[in-house]
Amino acid sequence: MSMSFGETAQTNGTDCFAISVVFKEGKLGRSWKQAGTTSEFLGEIVATQSAKSGLDYSEARHAIIYLVNELLENAIKFCSPGDVEVRCSLANSTFELAVINMISPERIPGLQMLIEDLTTRDPGDLLLERIEANAADETSSASGLGILTLMNDYGARMGWHFSDALTSGASVLRTQASLSLT
Amino acid sequence: MEIKTGEYNIWIEGAIIHYEGTLRLSGTDAYQEILSLMQTVLEQQPPMITLDLTQLEFLNSSGINLLAKFTIELRKHPQMAVKVLGSTRIPWQSKSLPNLQKLHKGVELVIN
Repeated sequence: MSMSFGETAQTNGTDCFAISVVFKEGKLGRSWKQAGTTSEFLGEIVATQSAKSGLDYSEARHAIIYLVNELLENAIKFCSPGDVEVRCSLANSTFELAVINMISPERIPGLQMLIEDLTTRDPGDLLLERIEANAADETSSASGLGILTLMNDYGARMGWHFSDALTSGASVLRTQASLSLT
Repeated sequence: MEIKTGEYNIWIEGAIIHYEGTLRLSGTDAYQEILSLMQTVLEQQPPMITLDLTQLEFLNSSGINLLAKFTIELRKHPQMAVKVLGSTRIPWQSKSLPNLQKLHKGVELVIN
C-alpha cells in the first residue's frame, strides 16, 4: 500500500548534481546534533555548486541548511528504528530534498490529518493560527510549525509519500521539499 | 544575566536582549531557560524592550516559535514599546521576522 500527498513529483533528473547521506541503523544511534552538522555539510556543498551558476551563495546556503535541518530534526524526533536517508539534488536553480525514514503505523493517521491542513489551508494563516494556539496551550506540541515556516517563509513545495516497509511492521515515510533558489 | 555556550550566547543589557551564534535546540522544553531569561526583562516593565538578533546567524523553527511566544506575551503589555533588530546579512531574519509584526502590531522591526 502506498499513498502520496502534496507535491511528490520531483523534476531534477538522474544526471543532475546530487548528494545523499545515509544514517545506518546500528551503533551510530540518533542524536539531535546530527541534524545541525549534516545540514551545514550539505548546505555548504550544494551552495558552492549553485554559486557556479550565478546563484547567491549565502542565500542558497542558508535556505538549504534551514530546509535540511527542519526535515532531519523531524525525522530524528519521530522515526522508528531503521536507516534515515537524506537525498539532495540541484538542477538549474531548483533544489530538491527527500528525507526517508521509518515511521510507526500508529503515527500515520495523526500525521495525515496534519498534512491535510498543510496542503489545503493558506500556510501564512495556518502558521499564525498554530503559533497562537501553541502560546495559549502549554501542552501543545506545536506540530507542523517547522513545515509551515518552510512553506510560508521560504516558498518550499512539500510532498509526503507513505509506503509499507519490506521487512518490518513499520512504514516508510518520504518527506519531500522543492525550493527555487533564485 | 546571560547564557553562554560554545554555540550561542544570550545576554541582557538594561532592557536589551542580545542573541549571538547558532540556536537549534530540540523543542519548547529545551528553549525554556532562554524564555525565562527573556521574561526577567519583561517583569521589570521597562518602557521599551529590544530584541537584538543582529548576530544570531541561525535559528530553527522551535526557536522562531520561542520568539513568537514571547511576542504574544508582549502583546499583553500594550504600553511597552517593542523593537526587534535584525540584519540583512542573515537570510532567515528577512524571511521569518515579519511574522512577529503580524502577531503584535506594536513591534517595530528594523532590519539593516
